Amino acid sequence: MIDLAQTLPQVLAQLAPVLVPFAAEDSPVWLLLAGPLGGGATYWLIYRYYRNTDKSHEFERDTLISAKPVQGGETRVDHISRTRDKDIDGDNSSRHRQRVRRIH
Amino acid sequence: MTQDPAEPPRSAYDGPPPPPPPSPPSLEEELAAAKAGPEPTPSIETVNESLRDGLNRCPKCGSTDVQLRASTGQLVCLFCRHEWQEERVEEDFGLGHGIEELEGTVIASGAADIRADVSDVVTFKCGGCGAEVSVDTSSAMNARCHWCRHTLNVNEQIPNGAVPDAVLPFKLTKDEAIARIRDFAGKRRLFALGRFKQEFVPDNVLGVYLPYLVIDAHAESEYRGVGEVQTRRWTEKQGDNNVTYYAADVYQVERQVKYTVDDLTMEGSADRANIAKENTNNIINTILPFDTKNAVRWNASYLVGFNSEKRDLNVAELKPKLEDQLLSIGRSQVSGSLRKFDRGVRWEQESIAVGGSRWVAMYLPVWLYSYQQQSNGLLHYIAVNARTGETMGSVPVSHPKLLLASITVGTVLEGIAAALLVASA
Ligand SMILES: [Zn+2]
Ligand SMILES: [Zn+2]
Repeated sequence: MIDLAQTLPQVLAQLAPVLVPFAAEDSPVWLLLAGPLGGGATYWLIYRYYRNTDKSHEFERDTLISAKPVQGGETRVDHISRTRDKDIDGDNSSRHRQRVRRIH
Repeated sequence: MTQDPAEPPRSAYDGPPPPPPPSPPSLEEELAAAKAGPEPTPSIETVNESLRDGLNRCPKCGSTDVQLRASTGQLVCLFCRHEWQEERVEEDFGLGHGIEELEGTVIASGAADIRADVSDVVTFKCGGCGAEVSVDTSSAMNARCHWCRHTLNVNEQIPNGAVPDAVLPFKLTKDEAIARIRDFAGKRRLFALGRFKQEFVPDNVLGVYLPYLVIDAHAESEYRGVGEVQTRRWTEKQGDNNVTYYAADVYQVERQVKYTVDDLTMEGSADRANIAKENTNNIINTILPFDTKNAVRWNASYLVGFNSEKRDLNVAELKPKLEDQLLSIGRSQVSGSLRKFDRGVRWEQESIAVGGSRWVAMYLPVWLYSYQQQSNGLLHYIAVNARTGETMGSVPVSHPKLLLASITVGTVLEGIAAALLVASA
């Protein structure tokens, strides 16, 4: 039972941010999702802690890299005047390994 | 590290391409020429000439009873206890310098193409008594002469890919590795498969030198996409609810960056490089990086008492992976320049030009505990980086136990949610 004490706090710490929005939501019926969601998250987090299927060498960070200043620019091409989307579709600016179309 | 002002304009990005100039050749032409031309021959000679006869003698007493002493990372003579080491390849082959000046593909002799027609078995004439001694290079690099007990080492590079340019000696002892593996598995007992817990014997850990290719390169990459900047945010009342709306400016975004990478490390064995759902190879990949700057010249005496795996991937086969990793590195480098786009950026196109790369084959030391799960045949590893001690593993999970725990957590949370609902009603 030693490992229960080690595993569960870790799981709960990762679970907390998932569950906080439910407490803040206006419509309290959403609260009923807490059970299935919490259960699912528990399964997934423990599984990941044991199997580490998501881990790999972070060569982007852990290799000696020396870069020159970033070049480039941006041109305003459009304006969205009214949307309920709070961010851009398909944001991949932090998914460095998700390949997009190669231009050559 | 200054910006090169003489950088030619990137014509390919300014609308339709102009007619090709007579000289110098464009990047595309250079790349096409490089692809069409023959693979370059090794340009860094790394053979340890002094050991050509297969005998690695103690410089003090002449004994061939030589092996690695992990606690010091030095070779030790088992006869007179004299300790010494090979030179670091970093200085010896000038690997630390000139990354920016690399042109084309520079390959060290130990990273040359593997030849399938070259046998794994190397036969030596023992320098002690004249007997013939064979070494199977697919798994071992040393053998004892049956007659006079001399140790014979495969120190000459043979074109079957077995002998790399350099070796990074083991540093963590077996006991230290066992302690780390025990600790790693110990933290994952509750939901572990019952059979795994019964059969877990960390003393079965194996010291293995795994083949890697260590790459220096300089490159330039470019990214194009769309970014959005929020200009307004407001809420409107719709019935009982407040709905939040946003307004945003949309930008076409373009970024370029030039960079060098020093000692990017890739698996040299196709089996290990294949990171898929059907295996747990990602575990071995995760314990990278190694302190490859401390690798020394090849000397098979470093391998006495350890297993080794043969390289079976050539430089040409790993080039697409290098480009892929360089693109990822470039993406991570430009990400800091995107803060203005608070609604995010969606990259849609990217390109990479590798100006030059240098490839060195190395044996890197890993302590491996493996466990084959009987129900699905999956081979689970707990791997310890024998230099840094970084430990990562995959422990088979008991799904019934995990399901029970999840249902319990779910039920407790649902109970709390129901109570809150009742209280707020
Ligand atoms: Zn000696
Ligand atoms: Zn002999």
